[in-house]
Amino acid sequence: MSSKTASPKLHSAAWRISLWASLAFAFGTMLVFFFLQRFVEQDIQRRSDAWLSGEVEVLGNVATRTPKDRLYGRVVGEVAELASREVPNKLPSETDRNDSVFFLQRGSDDSLQLWVGVGSGQDTLTAIVGTKLVPGQPTDVRIEGFAVPFRVACIQVVDGSRIYLGLSERDELRVLRNLRIRFMLLWFLIVLFGFAIVFLTTRRMLSHVRRITDAASRIGHTDLNTRVPTTKRNDEVAQLALTLNRMLDRIENSMHQLHTITDSLAHDLRSPLTAIRGKLEMSLGASIHGEQAEPIVSAIEELDRLTEFLNQSLDVAEAKADALRLTRIDIELDELLRVMTALYEPSMAEKGLQIGLHSANPVVIGADASLIHRMIANLFDNELKHLPAACTITIRLQAEEESVSIVFEDNGPGFSSDVMPHLFERRVKGKSSNGHGLGLAFIDAVARAHGGTVTACNRETGGAQVTVTLPRDTSVQGGSPIGMVQAVR
Amino acid sequence: MRLLLVEDEHDIQEFLKHSLEEAGYQVEAASDGITAERLAIDGAFDILIVDLGLPDQDGITLIFRLRQLGVRAPVLILSARRSVDDRVRGLEQGGDDYLTKPFALAELLARLRNLLKRNSPAGNEATRLRVLDLELDLLRREASRSGHVLQLTPQEFVLLEYFCRNAGRVVTRSMILDQVWGMRIHPETNVVDVHIYRLRGKVDNVGQQPLIRTLRGVGYVLKDR
Repeated sequence: MSSKTASPKLHSAAWRISLWASLAFAFGTMLVFFFLQRFVEQDIQRRSDAWLSGEVEVLGNVATRTPKDRLYGRVVGEVAELASREVPNKLPSETDRNDSVFFLQRGSDDSLQLWVGVGSGQDTLTAIVGTKLVPGQPTDVRIEGFAVPFRVACIQVVDGSRIYLGLSERDELRVLRNLRIRFMLLWFLIVLFGFAIVFLTTRRMLSHVRRITDAASRIGHTDLNTRVPTTKRNDEVAQLALTLNRMLDRIENSMHQLHTITDSLAHDLRSPLTAIRGKLEMSLGASIHGEQAEPIVSAIEELDRLTEFLNQSLDVAEAKADALRLTRIDIELDELLRVMTALYEPSMAEKGLQIGLHSANPVVIGADASLIHRMIANLFDNELKHLPAACTITIRLQAEEESVSIVFEDNGPGFSSDVMPHLFERRVKGKSSNGHGLGLAFIDAVARAHGGTVTACNRETGGAQVTVTLPRDTSVQGGSPIGMVQAVR
Repeated sequence: MRLLLVEDEHDIQEFLKHSLEEAGYQVEAASDGITAERLAIDGAFDILIVDLGLPDQDGITLIFRLRQLGVRAPVLILSARRSVDDRVRGLEQGGDDYLTKPFALAELLARLRNLLKRNSPAGNEATRLRVLDLELDLLRREASRSGHVLQLTPQEFVLLEYFCRNAGRVVTRSMILDQVWGMRIHPETNVVDVHIYRLRGKVDNVGQQPLIRTLRGVGYVLKDR
């Protein structure tokens, strides 16, 4: 179960779903922002280019019309100064001086004719001379001493000189940077928020699925009364729960029918058996002796065998349908095996068989006492019936963390190859067997009903091996182990 | 001892009535729940035998009703059902007992005796048992016959003790497995017989009167006279 892993949250489907959803969302919004930023960037540049082109034309006109006298520099400078106040996207400068705009007139001999701006303008002139500028097409120019490039437009004046108007891209970049920072912040918050919402929603939904899983896994082979939890909402999960419950209803119903059939079959056969047995016992009263009694005695013995066969057949049938009813109590297997060994030891010795039990510590499991007793008696009966004289039977009780194994080993002839593939089927028995062929099928049925398994094989060193493995975690809470030997009071 | 037998199957009722009367009980029989209720209130019974599958009502329901009406006598439940359901287990803990069909008559009688004994005030528990010349010391876990100490294993002692407590009465293999080994199993093999055979080898020596008798098809009996 996932709740038992080291970091259940990181392995949960909710975590994966929300992670992938958030990643897709983050990537998508990032892409949208990228295109949006490009658009804004281009738009800002288009606006400043338009402004630059317009202003440089105005300045060109002014420069052309203004006579080249003493006042020329002042007039053009004034106009340039005025223009620089209308700079688009302008943010307040850190200094008082306006260093975001410059005006430069370059003579045809590459001399600095007029300069409006911060500093001497010589660096700017050098940068402009080094760049190929086409009139009417603003271009980026990097000027030494400035971190941010200038956007420069130029125009050819009639006298051969050129007028340059430069606008720093500082403000433009600052606007874009602000945009980026704000977007990143919002993007991060939105992605985080989205992740949280998706995670919580899916977890809530999936926790319901987990509750259904937990409940469904608790509904064991025989416990069909409980149902998985349902919700009032009508979504897929609720549908799943409803469908599961309807399925359980149907299973319980057919299970109930099976029980009714086997019970009434048992009842209908047992009542006449009781009457017959009673009458036979009555007729076996004190008046009949010796040979006269023989047929009655064997009839009673046959009846008892028939009854046991009936019980085991019905148990096997119910177990095959996973419908065997269990009444679990705590059973101490170590002691049970000791008592059983003591019970069977004289019969074994009579037949020349040796028996050895290897079991160290008390092992308690929660199981149906009657079925487990009969199962172990069956294992002993099998050995007793099929082994030739002078064989040794070794019984081992092995307790592991999760399960308990009862191993029966012998050094006899083993299972013959013709019965080997059908060992756990009903009515399968060796040629020499005088049993009714239910033994291993019954053992298998009881183990299955308890959630365990049975394996039967021939050992490499010769002889047969039957291993019954039962799960351990079924111990009844608070119950005390039932002692096997009840001394007569 | 007055006994009320509630059983709807005519055949079973007949042979039970006959056998129980032979065993010394005064038996009244009822074939359905209503009759049983009427009889139980009118007559003071010492013990009841109730079959679970009655035509008009469930045997358990009848027992609960009788308890409500103030019937205190212990009940032996007869069940032809396969599994013993939890309600029967509940009753069992309350001092009643159950037996699944078909059963040996000896086992029915033994369970009736146990129920009656449980219900009567306990007498002083004997520390010695004596059957003819056989003597058991329950404290020292020692058995002797005609003064000679018998070499018994602890298990054989428990088995012999069970025989002595039921001296003169038939005990079946199922009863021995249930009472001595604490298991309700029905082995296909002769495990119990071998134990009895060994015990007999120690108790009934050559020249002595055999005490443990085999009743074929029924069980064993320890002679008490």
